[in-house]
Amino acid sequence: MANTLRPYLTCIRNTLTAAMSLQNFPCQDVERHNKPEVEFKTNTELLLNPILICRNEAEKCLIETSINSLRISIKVKQADELENILTKKFLRFLAMRAESFQVLRRKPVQGYDISFLITNQHCEEMNKHRLIDFIVRFMEDIDKEISELKLSVNTRGRLVASEYLKQYT
Amino acid sequence: MVAVASHQLAQCISGHAWNVDLTMIAVCTNNEVHIYNASPAPSAVWQRLHVLQKHDQLVSGVDWAPVSNYIVTVSHDRNSYVWKLEENVWQPTLVILRINRAAISVKWSPRENKFAVASGAKSVCVCYYEEDNNWWVSKIIRKKHGSTVTGVAWHPNNVVLLATTSTDCKCRIFSAYIKGVDSRSAATTTFGEIRFGEQLVQLDLALGWAFGVKWSPSGRSLAYVGHDSTIHFIDDVGPSPIAQTLALRDLPLRDVLFLSEKRLVAGGFDCNPMLFASDDTGTWNFVRFLDEGKTPASDVKASTQFSEAFGKFYGQAKRGVAAESPSSAPGTYHNNCITLLNPLAPPGEQEIRKFSTSGMDGKVVIWDMSTISDALARLGM
Repeated sequence: MANTLRPYLTCIRNTLTAAMSLQNFPCQDVERHNKPEVEFKTNTELLLNPILICRNEAEKCLIETSINSLRISIKVKQADELENILTKKFLRFLAMRAESFQVLRRKPVQGYDISFLITNQHCEEMNKHRLIDFIVRFMEDIDKEISELKLSVNTRGRLVASEYLKQYT
Repeated sequence: MVAVASHQLAQCISGHAWNVDLTMIAVCTNNEVHIYNASPAPSAVWQRLHVLQKHDQLVSGVDWAPVSNYIVTVSHDRNSYVWKLEENVWQPTLVILRINRAAISVKWSPRENKFAVASGAKSVCVCYYEEDNNWWVSKIIRKKHGSTVTGVAWHPNNVVLLATTSTDCKCRIFSAYIKGVDSRSAATTTFGEIRFGEQLVQLDLALGWAFGVKWSPSGRSLAYVGHDSTIHFIDDVGPSPIAQTLALRDLPLRDVLFLSEKRLVAGGFDCNPMLFASDDTGTWNFVRFLDEGKTPASDVKASTQFSEAFGKFYGQAKRGVAAESPSSAPGTYHNNCITLLNPLAPPGEQEIRKFSTSGMDGKVVIWDMSTISDALARLGM
């Protein structure tokens, strides 16, 4: 189903270009604080409608925006048990190192595999278009990585099994 | 070329203000306000003269009074200071704001005896000077705002009318008449005599957060923008105003500036100022983008069957980028959102030719409309 990948990614890119209109906004509830409103959700007037973009039942992307922050949660395609485990381990590996990614969230939102949190601070320090490129490329590469991992696991398993069974032939 | 000069001053600029003869500019970055020896001339080199350091958190607004030469600054740390230049050193004077949340924006009134502060405490403070104690005290408009107040604008002639915008998507006009500071005669408006803090008009035109409210030079019209990529024009502001809304295809705007009664320029997340003009019938229309570097958005090549999905984001920003190629930053002077537009003209000027913009990319860019205005004059605008 490669022909749905392009429209899916284009849609996400366009949505992100619109959603990434973030600005510095001091907290209304606690003085002198500045928090990403999308995480706390205490003031509904500061939140925009969340958008769910689904490629099919297995793959989807949730984009939630607020006045100063944006959260993108992605559910990656997992066809069988092995892919399930690989995805979980691989994305957990990345999420544990969220500090170096800056825009990554340490825990994915419930129901998704990985989440990004982009704040106005990131938009000031980094180029908005490059951020969007990063996320879209990340989504493309994830699928490739998981497939490669699965392939290498299967290959390794086959090699090990054939070596082991040689002693019985 | 409409943009004549561009100066990279910091990583991010939250506001700027020029002095009356356009020789100095005050720029706020982080907790400080930097004052530069500046000039709108294309080849000028700006030198930093002073650094005003008193705030603990981001300085969110600055305004420079033309006659008295006072600078007022407000910050996210709930404080505000009025700075006076004494022997080449800027001395701060305390302002008792009495708000318990951050201050977002500040504007001097046309007579400079008061200034208004928009705050996150869902209120607006109107401050005036108290001689006895040598400080500025405030009267607070607590009514009506449902959320943070994002911008304030004083009516140019009538020092009593104050327009505000808020993140509850509404624009309101209040009376800011203070007994003892304003004369009785100034208190009469088209709405009749009104006490302090009374809401006179509430405009509910936008579906998104409202920003950037400004009055036209004569005070007959008002304009503000909404985060749903709309811009609203209100003519004949009074008990029965005439309102017009323009829905735009591009990213939301943040601030507007009236160049004359019939022309307005607005800037926002597109990093490109947009020119609007009203024709003889009073209908406002979009004219053009001012930054020529911008390539027009091409049509989306990939299928748009998912475009309904992002239509919910108020249906904007159909940025045409082929999915394969990395989207390049627009070739505009500003790399990041334009947050403030300031006129470069003496106060009370009815026709503005030059203005400056500052943005989240830390740049201040000077724009000169003189080359364009001849072309537009030929078109009869």
